Amino acid sequence: MDIPAPVLELANLSKTYRGGVAAVRDVSLSVRAGEVYGFLGPNGAGKSTTIRMLIGLIAPTSGEARLFGSDLRSDPSVLRRVGSLVDGGAFYPFLSGRRNLEVLAKTHGAGADRIDMLLEQVGLAKDSGRKVKGYSTGMRQRLGVAAALLNDPEIVILDEPVNGLDVAGIQEMRALIRSLAVEHGKTVFLSSHLLHEVQQVCDRVAIISKGAIVRESTIADLLRQDDGLRVEALIVRATRAEAPEVVRRLVGVGAELFRLVPEQRNLEEVFLSITQEEPGDA
Amino acid sequence: MLDALSAELLKLRRHKATWFLVWLYPILFTIIFTLSTAVGMAGLEPPDRQNLASWLAQTAIPWRIPGNGLGRYMMAAFIALVFAGEYGWNTWKLIVPHRSRSSLIAAKYGAVILLFLAAFVLSAFISLLGTWADDVLTGDIVPAGIGAASLLRVHGQAALSALSPFLVTLGYASLAAVLTRSTLAGLVIALVAVTAEQLVLAFGPALAMKAPAIAWVLYQALPGYHLDNLAAWTQQGAGLHTPFPGGGVVAWSWPASLAAVAAWLLILIGGTFAAFRRQDIN
Repeated sequence: MDIPAPVLELANLSKTYRGGVAAVRDVSLSVRAGEVYGFLGPNGAGKSTTIRMLIGLIAPTSGEARLFGSDLRSDPSVLRRVGSLVDGGAFYPFLSGRRNLEVLAKTHGAGADRIDMLLEQVGLAKDSGRKVKGYSTGMRQRLGVAAALLNDPEIVILDEPVNGLDVAGIQEMRALIRSLAVEHGKTVFLSSHLLHEVQQVCDRVAIISKGAIVRESTIADLLRQDDGLRVEALIVRATRAEAPEVVRRLVGVGAELFRLVPEQRNLEEVFLSITQEEPGDA
Repeated sequence: MLDALSAELLKLRRHKATWFLVWLYPILFTIIFTLSTAVGMAGLEPPDRQNLASWLAQTAIPWRIPGNGLGRYMMAAFIALVFAGEYGWNTWKLIVPHRSRSSLIAAKYGAVILLFLAAFVLSAFISLLGTWADDVLTGDIVPAGIGAASLLRVHGQAALSALSPFLVTLGYASLAAVLTRSTLAGLVIALVAVTAEQLVLAFGPALAMKAPAIAWVLYQALPGYHLDNLAAWTQQGAGLHTPFPGGGVVAWSWPASLAAVAAWLLILIGGTFAAFRRQDIN
């Protein structure tokens, strides 16, 4: 099977702020067309700085960001093929949701013909006439997604899109993100510190910690890394067939055994074990 | 570029500040002339006889606002909001990826200039109409010789005199707003600059008693003298002659003052473009 060409590539991207604070260090990754790529890391790990460099808000100190094969610094017009949601709640508060999209459509030179469809798609058609300052966090996030899709982009970059959403909102956002890739053929680059979200919607993931990438893998590979059995505080390496023998021996030596469960590590545990390591240890 | 300008106008026309700081002038002139006419019609003041020159000058009063200290403060407030508002609303992130930074700043300059131009043209029209209606309704004598040519000449000269203080205020407030990323800080710095410029203009010769060299340089280096000198050349056909203690006289030709103002505009407006182009948007 052919591997699709990368639409987004970061090569040794770094950002050091005045005062010598290194927010991002030598980040390299590539995102292929049509995939939902997760960019996972705890708060302050460098996710937002990386995304800001990716969409031209922050100039990298060194390294390169390439979109559709073009270097962003030499050809910033390539960003017209990108939709982004950064700080989803940020809109002109004195304008209605619809008017905000009209302003953005004009700024993007995108035309206003997609606004109705997008408002419908994100479930804001009925509230589009209300001023944004009266919107809930979830409504602002959904308006942010509509804004990101205004120019019908080929890649959508979403920075913490489920921040502040309730359970229902998270589910809607999850479905929307998947549909962008599956139904609309868009590439999605999604940053989050919410592990479950990334696990639910992403094909591949890069984990960033303390400004550096510490893992890049498919979700399935990441979860397969460490399987085992756990008995309270005692971990026994054994197969399922050996489980009765393990129980007999533990009881035989006087252990109070309440239950024996196979260890199923989830992404959260893998993530924590990875991000607690120093980047240089990875 | 026109799209960006149109977006800026669409955004600003809904903002309260546009009403309070731009459309205020035509509204104020409408109220003033309505009250003045009402008072005249009630017979509370004697009939007025004006010569042609003073009648025409009265209709051009709105053009004095941009050169007036209070007028400049109010314009600075609006300009600071236009340029720093995006930082406060956190909305640069929505638009910077889709347009060159230069075109976004140019659109802001264009929108501010268009809005103030519209407000002052409208105010001048209201002033003209109000002066005429007041005379007709209250029995005053409208002087003979009013025609399109005389109106255009008087209003053209007044508008030309208003242009340079307006542009310098625009430069102060825009640069301060972009550098500080704050409407309030941008406004305060612009107010300080306008005030300092006027203080040096008013007290430069007196200051020369204490510090002759500094006063001499400041008086000629800051824009204040050149703005007044250009206005004098435009209105009276002769420049300002300011005697300094010790026998020195400051008397610049209009091309020299124009070049000094142009240099200031280049520094202030060019500085705004340069600062924004290099700025990280976090």
